[in-house]
Amino acid sequence: MLTLARKTTNILQSIARRGFVRLGLFFLLIGPGIITSNVDNDAGGITTYSLAGANFGLSLLWTLLPITVVLIIVQEMCARMGVISGKGLSDLIRERFGARITFYLMVILFLTNLGNTVSEFAGVAASLEIFGISRYISVPIGAAFVWWLIVKGNYKSVEKAFLFACLFYLSYIVSGIMGKPDWGAVRTAFLTPRLSFKPALLTMAVALVGTTIAPWMQFYLQSSVVDKGLKVKDYEYTRMDVIFGSLTVNVVAFFIIMLCAITLFPAGIKIASAKDAAQALAPLAGEYCSWLFAFGLLNASLFAASILPLSTAYTICEAFGWEASLNRKFIEAPQFYGLYSLTILLGAGIILLPGAPLISIMYYSQVANGLLLPFILIFMLLLINDRRIMGDYANGLLMNVFSWGTAVILICLSVAMTVAALI
Amino acid sequence: MEGHEESQIFIFLSRLLGKVTCDAQGRKLGKVTDLLVHLAEPYPVVTDVLVKTGKGEAALISWQNIREGDGKFLVSAFTIRPDRELVFPEGSLLLKDTLLDKQVVDTNGAKIRRVNDLQFLKVHEAFYLVHVDVGFRGLMRRIGFERFMDFLLQGLFDYVLPDQLIPWKFVQPLVSPDLLQLNIAQNRLSQLHPADLADIIEDLDIHQRAAVFQSLDAETAAETLEETDPKIQVSLIEGLNPADASEIIEEMSLSEAADLLGDLPDEMAEGILKEMEQDIADDVKELLTHPEETAGGLMTTSFLQMPPTATVGEAMEFIHKNAEDVDFIYYLYIVDGEEHLLGMVGLRELFVASAEETLNNLMDTRIVSVTLDEDKEAIAQSFAKYGLMALPVLDDGAKINGVIIFKNLLEVVAPQLGK
Repeated sequence: MLTLARKTTNILQSIARRGFVRLGLFFLLIGPGIITSNVDNDAGGITTYSLAGANFGLSLLWTLLPITVVLIIVQEMCARMGVISGKGLSDLIRERFGARITFYLMVILFLTNLGNTVSEFAGVAASLEIFGISRYISVPIGAAFVWWLIVKGNYKSVEKAFLFACLFYLSYIVSGIMGKPDWGAVRTAFLTPRLSFKPALLTMAVALVGTTIAPWMQFYLQSSVVDKGLKVKDYEYTRMDVIFGSLTVNVVAFFIIMLCAITLFPAGIKIASAKDAAQALAPLAGEYCSWLFAFGLLNASLFAASILPLSTAYTICEAFGWEASLNRKFIEAPQFYGLYSLTILLGAGIILLPGAPLISIMYYSQVANGLLLPFILIFMLLLINDRRIMGDYANGLLMNVFSWGTAVILICLSVAMTVAALI
Repeated sequence: MEGHEESQIFIFLSRLLGKVTCDAQGRKLGKVTDLLVHLAEPYPVVTDVLVKTGKGEAALISWQNIREGDGKFLVSAFTIRPDRELVFPEGSLLLKDTLLDKQVVDTNGAKIRRVNDLQFLKVHEAFYLVHVDVGFRGLMRRIGFERFMDFLLQGLFDYVLPDQLIPWKFVQPLVSPDLLQLNIAQNRLSQLHPADLADIIEDLDIHQRAAVFQSLDAETAAETLEETDPKIQVSLIEGLNPADASEIIEEMSLSEAADLLGDLPDEMAEGILKEMEQDIADDVKELLTHPEETAGGLMTTSFLQMPPTATVGEAMEFIHKNAEDVDFIYYLYIVDGEEHLLGMVGLRELFVASAEETLNNLMDTRIVSVTLDEDKEAIAQSFAKYGLMALPVLDDGAKINGVIIFKNLLEVVAPQLGK
């Protein structure tokens, strides 16, 4: 197995060495940015975007533009930190901010990620409930499959299959075009920012931010960049890869929101179950829309469910200096395997509680992401301005103004949402 | 005796950091942010305390000028300077900056650990850094949850979580390259087995890896490189200039050197080959002409051969002179004037025979060999069947070209082992 991988990498590397274009292609195909962006559109993502379109029509479409910009900025910073320092994000946080802050941050991150894991298994349950398969069958099998795949199986080859299946998102684009939207109205909605002080609207805005710029994705992206051993001289390509990935995420988000806005919103369908969300694909798939949607949601959920608990375990073990490697046996890395298994167990277990509301869970876990994000952003900004870590690659003035400004805006948004909800 | 015992206690760094410091009149100066130690064997000793007074200024206060009282530090003499002007003497290091929350190598356990706390031994008035705390207990102590955790664990499970301390003599800090240079004379890393060192290097991040690797001497570096994952090998060598790289590669066994040079980009490999000693470079180039996973690519050309007319005494003399530089010494291959393989003699037979015996009488003529283009499965079969330590590789004219050492075959046939 090692030899085949080495051969493949050697071939790809020799192609890559022959010039800028080839190297660029190499990254685009298997770069950390592309993988991250596809995992980003997980169960929570699909649900949040669908709800945004179904409940608010086109009125929140404009948020995608600023969200894309922020996503690119945040991910670029993580990639830059990963390449220059050669360390993961939780590693940097521990070394710079000390044990106490790291501890509290890890606790909060664990809880948020747990929420996201619950959301992934909710996706598994919801997608198969469309066919009448009880969650008590689908979730345990899904959890066992994911656990086995990572711990005992060959994840790398399955990753390619997952990525391939992400072509499913094209169906939203095709559907969107087939649904013959009023492109004029769409363009206006996309370019006209308007926000009112309604609690539901604000919460949705926070959720949109949270699902597109999920905190756990930033830790994952930086770790991937570090794992790949990307060097400073390759940084231009890394940046290209990250930008491309971010754009992909938001193109998909755009079409999901738009499609639900033109199919579900006018019909007044408030999404209460996955079947409701599946109706959005009717223009493309007609009566098979449920099948198409279920397939896509299942793929997205399992993909993310494979990566998210693993990323959580790596992040926490990295911060506390515990052995974290799949090459070790359980007894040699007890905290790593323990955290990983616990996350999956709790994630799947909570879904199995009677009456667990799947759609709400998927939605509110993204709200939690949105609330945590500004704080992670602040940590990142403090790190990326530290010349001892970043040297000449620390943020410039413009970037700083922009980034700090974004952090402030996001905090204001979160505060507004909380206040509006309490009033 | 009472006086003697009282003057020895263990103190953790976490208790000292953040302590309020006052001058002789009781006015608050600031808080302790770091301790400066002088690197001495066997244990570093605390020489100064760094106190930040705010407004971008700090004071580096000598340890002798500090008294403890009331949970505070009382200082008798100090000078306040702006942060930037602080100068630390050679052979000293700041503990919190360099060690706390950072990674270090535990050279006893051959692992990378993260430092949660540091433990001092107070002997009379001096503080010696004796242990590095890498355990969960240390983490809880830093966060302030130590008592709470004890209460829980003892209450529920009647279990006291032990400290996990590593003695300072087994600790190799990783934080800055200069630090590793400082420690070259006492470079504990070179005391590790190369295979363990390779594992550690693989676990480090890119910068630490390069720094650790470059602090090793050529021989240790070569041995370590042989055990390292090929991708990382390339990455490490790419960080060196051709002269240094060639020095290290020369120390490697020939087949490993050939594999490594084969993996490097062509221009870099050429550059390094130019810098290498001519005969070694030639041997390596010859090995590079064969595809990697055939007999030719697995073999080494560095082995012992002698004519059949030589005596055991002459053979032993020969081995004595050459054993250090040759890759494989446990079989002596008997060849004629044109390098046709006639037989082989094991080291055991040589030791047991009398010095006047000729190799001709001693040698085993039942030759087991492989051809240059034999593939790895067939080679493995031969090894398994005949139980040899090495297999000679013959070309079409039955001339010996090289030998395949079992270890090199093992890596190719069962790469998942030893990872």
